[in-house]
Amino acid sequence: MKRAIALVIAVRALTAASPAWAQTRGLFDATGDAPMISLRPFLDVSNEKFLAVKTFDAIFGETSARFWGGGLQVTGWHGRVYGELGASRLMKKNEQLVGQRVFVSDGKVYKLGIALRSTVKPVEFTAGYRFNAHPRVIPYVGAGFGSYHYTERSDFADPSENVDVTKRGGIFHAGVELRAHRWIGAAVDAQYTHVPGILGNGGVSQQFAQDSTSQAKRESDLGGWAARLKVIVGR
Amino acid sequence: MVGSRARVSLLSLLASAVLALAVHGQTPASNGFTLTENLGLPAVDAGALVGEPRGSNLTAGEFHGALGTALASESRLGTVSGLAYVRGKVIVKFRSGVSGAFHAESLRSVSQTAAVSPRPAYADFDVIAIDPNEDAEAVAAALRERDDVEYAQAAYVMHPMLVPNDPLYKRLQWNLPLIDIERAWDIQPKPGESIIVAVIDTGVAFMNATIRTNIFGFRDQTGALYPPIPNATLPYAAAPQLVTDGRFVAPHDFPNNTDTPLDFDGHGTHVSGTIGQLTNDGIGTAGVAFNVKLMPLKVLCSDWDILFGTSAARCNTDDMVALAIRYAADNGAKVINMSLGRTSPATCATNRNAPGCAPAVEDAMNYAVSKGVFIAVSAGNDFDRGNPTETPAEIASRIKGAVSVAAVDLSKNHARYSSSGSWVELAAPGGGGGNDDLGYIWQQTLDFRFVNTFDLPVAQYRAPRFDVMAYIGYDGTSMAAPHVVGVAAMLMQQGITDPAAVEDALEKTAIDLGASGRDDLFGFGLIDARNALFGKGMAK
Repeated sequence: MKRAIALVIAVRALTAASPAWAQTRGLFDATGDAPMISLRPFLDVSNEKFLAVKTFDAIFGETSARFWGGGLQVTGWHGRVYGELGASRLMKKNEQLVGQRVFVSDGKVYKLGIALRSTVKPVEFTAGYRFNAHPRVIPYVGAGFGSYHYTERSDFADPSENVDVTKRGGIFHAGVELRAHRWIGAAVDAQYTHVPGILGNGGVSQQFAQDSTSQAKRESDLGGWAARLKVIVGR
Repeated sequence: MVGSRARVSLLSLLASAVLALAVHGQTPASNGFTLTENLGLPAVDAGALVGEPRGSNLTAGEFHGALGTALASESRLGTVSGLAYVRGKVIVKFRSGVSGAFHAESLRSVSQTAAVSPRPAYADFDVIAIDPNEDAEAVAAALRERDDVEYAQAAYVMHPMLVPNDPLYKRLQWNLPLIDIERAWDIQPKPGESIIVAVIDTGVAFMNATIRTNIFGFRDQTGALYPPIPNATLPYAAAPQLVTDGRFVAPHDFPNNTDTPLDFDGHGTHVSGTIGQLTNDGIGTAGVAFNVKLMPLKVLCSDWDILFGTSAARCNTDDMVALAIRYAADNGAKVINMSLGRTSPATCATNRNAPGCAPAVEDAMNYAVSKGVFIAVSAGNDFDRGNPTETPAEIASRIKGAVSVAAVDLSKNHARYSSSGSWVELAAPGGGGGNDDLGYIWQQTLDFRFVNTFDLPVAQYRAPRFDVMAYIGYDGTSMAAPHVVGVAAMLMQQGITDPAAVEDALEKTAIDLGASGRDDLFGFGLIDARNALFGKGMAK
């Protein structure tokens, strides 16, 4: 909630342009001022709320995680369209989520004290459209796909009991880019990812998926909803 | 078996008792002997017994020797159930809120001689003393007709679920790798260290002591007179591979109402060894959960208990078992092993007041589970004797948090004796018997060569010694249940504290044997200690 308020304040501050700035529309008009093609590296942080809420809560005691990453965005048609390639990592020590193996009986979770470490490494490609709505505020929507490398290692596990798998997933996002400077912008967006094929085939995710039809899809999905903040360098 | 096993008749027993009293002019203590604790030498370790012929004539459900004869004299077969019960008492639970006066009216209406016996605080039922000549099942049936009676039953006789054998030497414990215990120990190097396991059985060799008693004389089946042994001094020693500091918690002997439940048979000590034999000390055999604390609770008697003067009417009965279960739950036990049972009607699930059912035991088991105690019960050894329904195994199958355990041999095949039925929930190693050393479960227990002196000819008959231990192979579902109990203790230690969840974990991780899914021979399958303990991750 605090984060949302802060975000609104930041957007309001940037969009409450002074009359003088309103006269310099060209300087910040992404679609007008931007070159035909622009290369724009970015860094981002995100907070993802996983769809497999029960599974993550059972193992890690939390249902969301922060990621950091970066990539390159290419805009074209004077900034109207874009494509970006990014990679991210968990913002945790050793880039790992650390939890415990569990046994679930009658809906109750019993933690077994056996350490389990997971990593999630997304590489994502998206493309989309940027709207020329305001010189300093550029909404955008995009979609794409990603490659998700998931590992799971447990103490006392045989190699066959660990997991090391890469699967593809789909992405949809929508947000707004805020131009603070000719060469620097910030973007906030909400991103939905759908990553089937990793969870739901075994372990506690499978049990949760089997326990409830309504939960089956969610607990079989490594994706989720993420709020992202990007710092973009470039016009 | 060497020599013929002695048989006792009631008359000879009583005559000998009178003779012993006359000679020594003293009244035996309530349990027939006096005990000087911690007086005596440590046990003699006779090692693993080899070269002894097998072929015990003991079979499950049959009592022989002094115990058999005494129980035979104290009990009768129910006219309705066909099951043996002890004469002279009925187990009754009155409905709450009914006054004592009304109880008395209930009792007088069904038996003029009935009187309520004192009961321990932890019991929720009464034992009614009646004339031994009265039909206890008929009295129970009449009581059940009363509105103020929740249940009434005869005191049916239980027995250890053991198919004993003469021992052969072999130290290979195939049974533990079969349930993948080594990898479970990797996960939990001090298995069950915070868990108390109650062993409801024949007692346990858990202390050093010197016993002074008058041993009654008896006649065997051939009529040979075994003379009384007055003023006998008997050495008793703890099984060295069970005892560590603080190992034993709240021991109790229910037939004798003492806190020294000494094992004069070996069954309870053997069972305790499978649960918690000291391990990785370079000596003898291993146990499943070798760091557990043990609560020895004696309800089953041996021949020597009878010959020392224990009343057979207090041995092996439903009320003793029910009391022990409640006592265990009230004194901190988290897991209970019951390698005992008897046959029962198949209808107890729908009519627990039917003659032959065990509502007192059922209520006690429900009480224990409600207090967070997991219970494992041997499924029975009567597969090739008509395969009747067994209790408390059948009761366990109706309680989430209690399980009945069938036996498999080292090839994971159904053990020839292991009872089967809809009540079987899990399987564990019990041994297949036969001539192969690997047909048995080996543990340290009392050396029968020094204990069962009543098997010797009269000329060689002598007082027993209870201070010689040996590694002896037993088979039976009695041996299977302790495997489940040990793993259950480890699961509790690992964090699965709800007995229903422990049962769930054991069943969901069991290795499916026989017909796919649950079946009547193996239940959900052979327990897998490591998989149960390892639980589940995110994706695997």
